[in-house]
Formats: sequence, structure tokens, C-alpha cells
Amino acid sequence: MIDDAGPAAHQGAGRPPTYTSWLRERSDAELDALLAARPDLLTPVPADIAALAARAASRPSVVRVLDQLHLFELQVLEGVVALGDERSGRSPHGVAPSALATAMAAPTDRFAAALDRLRATALVWEEEGRLRPVTALRDILPRPAGLGPPLRVLLSGRPLSQLDRLAADLGLPTGYGEGDPADRLSAALCSPDRVDALLDDAGPDARSVLDRLVWGPPDGTVSQARPDADIASAASPVERLLARGLLYVTGEHTVTLPREIALRLRGGRLFREAAPHPPELDGPQRSPLTVTRAAAGQAFTVIRYVEELVEHWAEDPPSVLRSGGLGVRDLRRSARLLDTDDTTAAVVIEAAHTAGLIAATSEVDGEWLPTGHYDVWRVTEPARRWALLASAWLGSTRVASLAGSTDARGRSRNVLGEGLDRRPAPEVRRDVLGVLAEAPEGTAPTRDSIAARLAWRRPRRQGRGFDELLDSTLAEAALLGLTGRDALAPHTRALLDETADGQTVAEAADSATVRALAAELPEPVDHILIQGDLTAIAPGPLVPSLARELALAADVESTGGATVYRFGESSIRRALDAGHGAADLIGLLERHSKTPLPQALRYLIADVARRHGRLRVGTASSYLRCDEPALLDELLGDRRADDLVLVRLAPTVVASRTTRPVLLDRLTELGYHPVPEAADGTMQLSRPDARRAEEHAPDGGLDSPPVPGPRLRAAAVRALRAGDEAATAARTPVAAPPNGPSRPSTAATLTALNRAAAQGQRVWIGYLDPEGRASSHIVEPQRVDGGFLTAYDATRDAVRRFTVHRITGVASLERDGA
Amino acid sequence: MTAGPLIVQSDKTLLLEVDHELADECRRAIAPFAELERAPEHVHTYRVTPLALWNARAAGHDAEQVVDAFIAYSRYPVPHSLLVDVADTMDRYGRLRLVTHPAHGLVLEAVDRAVLEEVVRSKRIAPMLGDRIGSDSVVVHPSERGNLKQALLKLGWPAEDLAGYIDGEAHPIELAKGDWELRGYQREAAESFHSGGSGVVVLPCGAGKTVVGAAAMALTKATTLILVTNTVSVHQWRAELLRRTSLTEDEIGEYSGARKDIRPVTIATYQVMAARRKGVHTHLELFEARDWGLIIYDEVHLLPAPIFRMTADLQARRRLGLTATLVREDGREGDVFSLIGPKRYDAPWKEMENQGWIAPADCVEVRVALGDDERLAYATAEPEDKYRFCASAPAKIEVVRELVQRHAEEQILVIGSYIDQLDEIAAALDAPVIKGETKVAERERLFGDFRSGRLRTLVVSKVANFSIDLPEAGVAIQVSGSFGSRQEEAQRLGRVLRPKSDGRGARFYAVVTRDTLDQDYAAHRQRFLAEQGYAYRIVDSGDVLAGNEI
Repeated sequence: MIDDAGPAAHQGAGRPPTYTSWLRERSDAELDALLAARPDLLTPVPADIAALAARAASRPSVVRVLDQLHLFELQVLEGVVALGDERSGRSPHGVAPSALATAMAAPTDRFAAALDRLRATALVWEEEGRLRPVTALRDILPRPAGLGPPLRVLLSGRPLSQLDRLAADLGLPTGYGEGDPADRLSAALCSPDRVDALLDDAGPDARSVLDRLVWGPPDGTVSQARPDADIASAASPVERLLARGLLYVTGEHTVTLPREIALRLRGGRLFREAAPHPPELDGPQRSPLTVTRAAAGQAFTVIRYVEELVEHWAEDPPSVLRSGGLGVRDLRRSARLLDTDDTTAAVVIEAAHTAGLIAATSEVDGEWLPTGHYDVWRVTEPARRWALLASAWLGSTRVASLAGSTDARGRSRNVLGEGLDRRPAPEVRRDVLGVLAEAPEGTAPTRDSIAARLAWRRPRRQGRGFDELLDSTLAEAALLGLTGRDALAPHTRALLDETADGQTVAEAADSATVRALAAELPEPVDHILIQGDLTAIAPGPLVPSLARELALAADVESTGGATVYRFGESSIRRALDAGHGAADLIGLLERHSKTPLPQALRYLIADVARRHGRLRVGTASSYLRCDEPALLDELLGDRRADDLVLVRLAPTVVASRTTRPVLLDRLTELGYHPVPEAADGTMQLSRPDARRAEEHAPDGGLDSPPVPGPRLRAAAVRALRAGDEAATAARTPVAAPPNGPSRPSTAATLTALNRAAAQGQRVWIGYLDPEGRASSHIVEPQRVDGGFLTAYDATRDAVRRFTVHRITGVASLERDGA
Repeated sequence: MTAGPLIVQSDKTLLLEVDHELADECRRAIAPFAELERAPEHVHTYRVTPLALWNARAAGHDAEQVVDAFIAYSRYPVPHSLLVDVADTMDRYGRLRLVTHPAHGLVLEAVDRAVLEEVVRSKRIAPMLGDRIGSDSVVVHPSERGNLKQALLKLGWPAEDLAGYIDGEAHPIELAKGDWELRGYQREAAESFHSGGSGVVVLPCGAGKTVVGAAAMALTKATTLILVTNTVSVHQWRAELLRRTSLTEDEIGEYSGARKDIRPVTIATYQVMAARRKGVHTHLELFEARDWGLIIYDEVHLLPAPIFRMTADLQARRRLGLTATLVREDGREGDVFSLIGPKRYDAPWKEMENQGWIAPADCVEVRVALGDDERLAYATAEPEDKYRFCASAPAKIEVVRELVQRHAEEQILVIGSYIDQLDEIAAALDAPVIKGETKVAERERLFGDFRSGRLRTLVVSKVANFSIDLPEAGVAIQVSGSFGSRQEEAQRLGRVLRPKSDGRGARFYAVVTRDTLDQDYAAHRQRFLAEQGYAYRIVDSGDVLAGNEI
């Protein structure tokens, strides 16, 4: 897979031409850029440059970074693969940049930029000024630029008799007498004059066969073709081409056009049309103000939705389905509560869950409850609340708008349940929003133009799943207030910038996102307007204390930017039940109303208050009746009966909180000889307090490799250099194992850790947890014993223990060690 | 953030702060697509309904305009989803069109084939349609034009009706020149109706709806059928038309229980039209009696169900609905709009009052209490008798007598629902009663005496709820009503809203029994007026009887 074996391979050479040595020559900044572009190279951190090279050249890692390239970069890369293929047998290997540029026929600046990116991602490396692709690309891109394999590949492995016949027809020497016949033939067929002559010779109908293959795909299907046809016996146009070495049989019914011939036919150009520029984004024009306000309005609505929903769930939690999600009926109910459709409700619920505001209780018959995190969220300023929801959504693999659809087995996917995870979702979301961010201000790109731009930007990430994610991203972004009128809102632009490095907005005390949004959101107000039709209008979000009081005394009639309350008998009664007096209710309203209190409202409050509390209701489990008040006096005076909690309701009636059997037993014990009466007491149950689920870390769905921050990357580069130095200076006895991904020996690890512990240094370590997940930590070792490292983990802000044999690497954080 | 006067709510109501300097401008901007729902003192509530949006589309407004109005006047950012919803809703209008095909007659034509496919598959709609003509249109039975439009509206695919109107039999009608002039809003209402072809005009009581009818007739210049609530009203329309238009006695026919004349302009009562003999509507032929060019529905909020059904068949004729209070306790406001036509003109009561077209009114709720014995009797009364019992509480009589004395100099109407109660009150006040059994001639004599001032106090049952024009009545005392009917309350207030010759204001008393159903119903009845900005004051009967200032 890799171009060289390891450090040992280049011991002797003065300037060994390998991928590894090319990497080694990169500056620290370039390595840092490489690690930033390909974070997977860091998990775990490779021991030295050789290991890094091995990983960077491995197929999975290459595929991963290929997915990040845009169409033009991919085209340039295909160009490098097509022209720099060492199998063509030409030397020196690789392709000169100038030759490639000519073949690409694209603007120089775009070409140079694309090439820089390919070099920066180490997909292309250089040897004496010539570009060479990483070997794995040959398999990943088997038909680069729609070109078939080089002639030499097609020729080698063919029976000598065939080669000889071809050589004879071309007027070349046969046999092994003058070197490898395949080499000879391929060199001859690369000559433009000879190819042109052969083409003329084959005739126009043969030419039209080639025309169909020339721009790819290079393979054609034929009903029958004899591989051993020669010029004399060739019957069909295809056979005429085969006989002249312009076409090759590569399968029972397949013929392939060799790379060199196709290039010749293409006039040396690699692509009919290179795509150096992304397709234009077009769509209707929107005024920036409309966009901002529409998005901010939606953002405000979403915050309100979450709050309304979660508050409701706290009182009346929906249960967790056995399969783990939220039932369809509960989803509908939530949608009704929010006065919206199911999809919006689903998106809101998933966003709240992703942000860690709701969680399932761990019991068997679990319920969905708000978390303690929600209590913190609720008192945060509104703009930050939105930023938390939006950034959680951005990084989540959950795709809420898929809820309700059915999976391959026909089962419906439930909100908060299985089947809604899409691993590429976070990346696609960022891409889609990134494309929106590229649109000129005020343009709301159409879905088709976004799709076209994305197809250019992520040519390898297309297909049905991708389209599904594009649509869900656009829909959800609109619902969550990231876009307004289909254009990107300024606060989202800020959010994208701030979260680009894997940071969360919660950490930033002064966040541009929060500032941008806060400027658009309504300011809380502390007054209301009360009108003659017994409505009160809060012309903006109310300060929380007033909102609580009003919610008691009036029913909410409509919500939005403002809140409309209606006073009614039942709502006034509710306020009185909660302990308000008529006078303080009127006082409260007078204090906060900007308009004089209508007389009708005063009457309403007075009327309800007058009737309130004339009947009083209490709880008793049992009662005692006695015609002689004196006996009850005696009993109430009896101190032995204190535990029965007796309350005198009337001279001849006493109520007790204890149950009838207990009362009977106890009174019998005390010698009163009571007789049970046929009667039943009613119990009134009071509602339990709003409940909370146990602490729950925000849940973003599937785990994906953490994005390394700049600090971690810098440490990793130093670790690599250190490891490399150790490995290349390895004529010492402690040589790295000759093969495979190397790791510093446990002894070296122990030494490094002990030294750090002794000197109080901070070091970087790579670590594999028991599940095999790789992670990196910056730690201050305290002690090393019994196979464990005890250290303060700066990444987690806690002291923890690491198993020494799981530590994959140690590097000092300070330059030059100590 | 702009401090606009408008707040957009998520349930698509719009709150307009009336004291804001941009309020008028904003009102004009949102009027085409939002219905005024409530107009109390400080903040008016408009509602954006699909119907209102489609009416706006029909009137040539587009979604961008709506969105622009939201953005321009809204105090807070408007949620994106709401804007999308508005655009989507408006987009549904006009996908289907009703047109007159030269060969096939009335045809439903689709701009969007998928919609037509959906519609023809609907169980409710399929029977109204005939053969398919090509892939994009389908024949409609002409008699189903109204039903089809109604059904399409329910499906959410409102059809644009381009089939036009029958001109009907032409008949020259001019507005009379004389001592009066058409008021600006009356002209506007009539013109707005005429340009739209059919629709509803909502004006407060006393604002001259009859005149709007006359103006509409003068614009249409065709034979006209006028449907009104009762015989007295027939006579009032007749008198008013004679005064306001060039029509002569001979040109106006009366079609009621007593007389059945059909003339170029014919006035009929709903009662006669809806009357059935052996299960058959016998007077339906009136609709076909002439080639009517215009049909006017007075007090359209009272339109009875059979007339609704008949109206569905009359979609090709121009239709004008007139009302003060388009609230129906049966919730069929939507049917009025879909069958008669969209609202063409609407004026808030308080605005008319400010401009002096209707008298300012002071609404007072007088609360009386039941005695202890009566309370017990009330508590044990059968549920169906409860309201009658508390509404006709004897304590009310004393209060009414006192109130009448206080306004001895004015023309007073005492209005109630229960005949026994009215008889008792009449006896106590020594005043005549007009009730259902009172002959028309007697009614008109009493109304005439009242108008001329010979009679100061008149006790009336609900026969006088509507359309009775009593210009000088300045005080109304309501002692009982039809349960919680909001429009009844408004209509009754309307009896005293004609501007008075000396410019004095009107007084409206509602006498209500405290802590009973009467009070609950009163609260509901008052809602419409409260929402129009009429704030009721509440006083205690004790204060009234003690002679305190109220």
C-alpha cells in the first residue's frame, strides 16, 4: 500500500525519493495544516512520520479526504492519477505541473489553488518537481478522468504470441531479444504519428467506435471480439482496432480503450470541460432586513416552542416507547400543544433532546422529562438559548424530519427513536449552510442551484441519501430560524464561524451569534394593556415574574411577539386559589397596566372573590360522631390520642386524618368502645411537583471523531517530530519494530511519564479506551504505579487514571522537552 | 428593530396598537387580507384567515405584498414559517377557475392538473361535475356553481370565478336628488360591492345600510329582489327607496304574507320565502319570477338555512348582503362569505361614531339581586326554566320604572324576550307593548306615534330587534334577551344609534340579575360590543333606586 516500508528502507540513501521522506520534509506549519484537514490521522496520534505516512496513504483515510474535495480539485487529482501513473513505465515517474496544467486547460490561479490543496492534504506528493499520486488512489479512482488503464498495463500479461503478432503488424521486433515486448509496444503506441497512422488505416467506421469511448467510460461492450485478430483477419471495425493495438479485450464481452490512445484522441486534454468554478447560485432576491427578521422571528418562536413543550412535559411527561422513542400520539399531542404541524414538533423535540434539555428516565417504563440542564437553559438570555439549540442541531447526526417515514423493513421511525441517525448529517448541514453563506447577500438560492453547487463542492457525496439530507437540512434550518425566507440569516453566519473549529457557543462569553440575534429579538417588557373586553395584551415577552403572575390570573389566548390574555371567571378563581386576594390582584394589575383598569374587570374580580371560599373543602379519612359533646371534649383532651390528629368540625363532629381501621383500633385500645359507621371518605390527591430526569450529557446522536483544536494539533506535530527523531535515530538498541504501525515501547512511555511527573510537566498522551476508541489528552502526570498513570486531565478538568499499556504515545508540550 | 404598530402572533392574529402614529397607514396596508376581529380601546385584533387571503388574491393582491406589510409594520420579527404559510395559502387560489366555455357552458378549468385530479376524486365534489373535456377541464352543472365553490373552499382549493354574472332584466334606477347626499363610506361600500359583483357590506346599525342598498341598485340598474326580515321592514325599505331613488310606487312590489306583488323591484320577507306547505317551499318561484339583476339580503346574519340553499343556485346573479353584525351563534359566517360573497366593506363601530355618523352610546349594566326566597327557587328550578326565571326577576321592574323616570324627557324603548315580563313592565309603566301577536297595522301606528314623539315609552319584544328605524329613540332598556346572543345585543343597541337631531348621545341599559345565568349570558352578549370598543359600566340597582348619579 505504501511506497516504502519504514525507516529502515532509506537508511543508506542520501535523498530517498519516498512519500515518507516527502512528508518528513514538510514544515511544522504544513504538518499542522495536514492534521487540521485530515483529523482522522490523529486518532490515535501516530508514533512517527513513517506511521503517519502509512496512515495517510491508507485507503480509508484517503477516501475520507477525497470526500472533502470539490469537483475541480478532484479533476486535478484525477489528472495527476491519470498522467502520473508509474505503471505506464515511463521514467521519471509522475507528471510535471506544467504538463498537467496544459492537459487541464483551466485558469492558472484555480489550478494552482487546487494543486496546493492536494499537496496540503498529502494526496499528491512531489519527487524532483514532478507530481505523484498516493498509490491507494489508483484503486480508488480506477478510471481517472474517464480514462482506461495505461497501454503497458493492458499489454503486460498477454500471451507472447499475441504480443508478437501485434509487434509484427506494427513492424516492430518480436520476442524478448530487445527487452520486454510490452514495454516496446507501449512505447511505440505512444508515438502520436504512429497512432494517427493506425487510426487512418483502421478506417472511419473504426474511428466512430473509438469516438464513443474517448470521453469515457473507456470500456465498451461487444458481442464477440477475438483477442487474437490480426490486421489480415480482422473482420469488424472493433477487430480492426484490436489488431492495431488501439483497443484491448479486457473481458468476455468488454473492450477497453487504453489511456494513451484516448488522450491522443482527446487532443491531449483531460476533460472536455474542466470545472474550475462552482456553478452560480441563483434565486429570488430578498431584502436583507426581511431575511434577518423572518429568521429572528422563527428563532424566537422556536425558543418559545421548546419552553412551552418542556414545561408541559414536566407536568405531564410522555412515556418512552419500548423501542426508545416518543409515540406518534404523543408527537401529535405536542404538535397540537404548540399549534403547529408534526414535523415542526418533531424538529423542536429533537433539538431540545440534542441540546440535552430533555432525557428519558432510566426506569423500565421510562418517561421523557426535562433535565437539570433545562433549568439552566431556561434562565439564559433568549439569543443564547437559541444559539445552544442551533449549535446542538448543527453537530447532531439526528435528522428529525425523517420521523414518521418508514425504514427498509417498513417500520415507522419515531421521534427520539432509532433510525433517525445519519452519520454524514453534521457535515452536510455545514456544507449546505456554507453554500447558503456563499450566496450574494439578499439572494435566496433555489433548491436546485444549491444542489448543483453542492454537487460541485462534494462530487463524491451525491445520491439519494445526500438529497434527502439536503432537503431535510433546508427544511429544518428554516424551522429552527437559521434561514429566513430561504436565505441565510446573519446570526447563522456568525454561528457557522464560531462553531467552525468544533467549539460550542456556550463556551464563548461574548458570542457574535448571540449579539447578532439579540439585536433582533424583542426586549422583555414589564407592562400590559388591559382593555374593556377583558383582554390584556403584553406587547412583547414579559419579564418572568409578571409572566408567572399573569399566567395565573388570565388565560392565554394567543402567543407570538406579544401575548394576549383573557380574564375570565375561572382564571380569576385560579389566581385566588393560588393565594391572591382580590385587592392584591387588582393592585398587581393596576401597577403593571399602562391603561386604566376597566370597571368590568374590577367587577369580575370582586364577583369571583365574593363567591370564592364560601365553601371550604378539607381532607379527612374518617370521622367521629357523638351526641354528647362532653365525650368528644374528653377525647380531644386525651393526650394519648394526639397521634390520631383529631379536628373538631362541629360540637358533635370530629374528623381524623387516620384511616377508619386505625381509628377504630386505637380508640378501642384507649377504651372508648367505638362502633364503625358505614361511610366512605374521599381523598383528594394533590399533583406532585414538576419532575426532572437525572443529569444527562447533551446527546448529539452518534459519536464521531472529535475535531482536534489548534492546541492539540500543535502538540501532535511535536509528538510526531519527537517520535520520528527517536525512530530515525534508531541505530540504537531500542529500535522500533520493523513492521506495522509503530509505537514507542512501554518502557519509553514509562520513562517519559515518570520524568514528567517528577518535573511537574504537562504532556500530551494518546489513549485507547477499553472500547478501543482513541482519544488525546493533555495531562499533568502525578504518579505512575501499578500499570496506571494518575494525572490531572486538562481536557476534562479532572484527575483520572489511565492504563499505561493503553497509552499510545507521549509527547512533551514544552518545546525541546525540558 | 423598528417600533412598528403591528405585532404578528403565531396564530395569525395581528395586534394593531391604535394610538401608534403609523396605525392608520398600517390599517390600510393590512385591511385587504386581514379581518378585523376585535376593536376595543387600545389594541385592535385582526385575523389572517385563508378566506381573507384568498379574497385578497381575488382583489389582485399578492403574497409579496402581504409579507412586505408584515415586515414593514411589524414591531418584532415575523416567524419565517408564518410567512411561508401565508405564501402557500395564497398560492392555492386560482389553481382552479370557473369559466364559461363557448360550447360546454360552465366549466372548471385547472391551471395545475394535479389539483384538478385531486378535486375530481373528491366524493363530495364528483357529483357536481359533468364530463371531462380534455385533461385540464371538466364541465360543471350550472346549478352547482355555488355548491361547488363552497365545497372547493372547504377542500382548500378556492376557484377563481370568472364565469361572470347575468346582467338580468335592465331597469332604470337613479338615486334621487334632494335634501340628502350619499355619505362617503356609503358610496365606497356600494362601489366596492359593484366592482366585485357580489359580496357583503358590514356597517353598524344606524349607518344607513338601506341607502347602500339603494346606491347599489342605482349602480346595477336592473330589476332587484330584496329579502328582508319582517313586514315592517318591508315597508321601511319601500319608504326609503321611494325617498332615495327615482323608483315610483308602481315599480316596487311587496311579497309578504299579506300581499304578493311582483314588480321590477320586489321586497320579500325571509319568512315567506322559507315557508313550506306539505314540505315544499311554495314561494321559490319568486326567484325565477323575473330575470333579477340583483338580489339584496338584508340582515344577512339572519339568513335562514333554506335561503342559504336557494342562494347556492343563484350564483350567476349579483348578490349583496347587508349586516351590522356578522356573528352567528351557529358559526355559519363562512357560508355567508362563500355563498353571498366576500366582505366588500367593513367599518368599525367606533370609527363611525367618531365621524358622527352614529350617535355615541353609553352602555350601562344595572345589576339587581334576587331575594333569598327567589334564590332558593332559582336554585331548584328546572335547567330549562332557569334563564327565564332569573331574567324575569321582579326586581327588574322597579329598576326599569326608575330608569324611565330619569329619562322622562327622552324616547325610551324597553326591550325584552319574555312576553309575561314585558306585559308586567308595560302595566307598571303604563306603556303599550309590541309583540309577535300585535297586528302589523297596530305596530306601525305605535311606531309612528313613537317616532312623532306622541308616545315617549314603548315596550317591545324581539320583533323589534332589527330593521326598525326609530330615529329619535335615545334610550334602550334591555330586560331580557335570547340567551347569549351577541348579535341581538348589538342590534338592540343599534335601535338607539341613529344620530339625534340635537346631537345628544344614546344610553343603553342592560338590566341583569346578579350571580345567575342572566349575568353569564349578559357577559357573553356584551362581547361583540365590548370588542367593538363599547365598554359597559356596571352599576348596582341600589344606586339606581337611591337616585344616585349613574
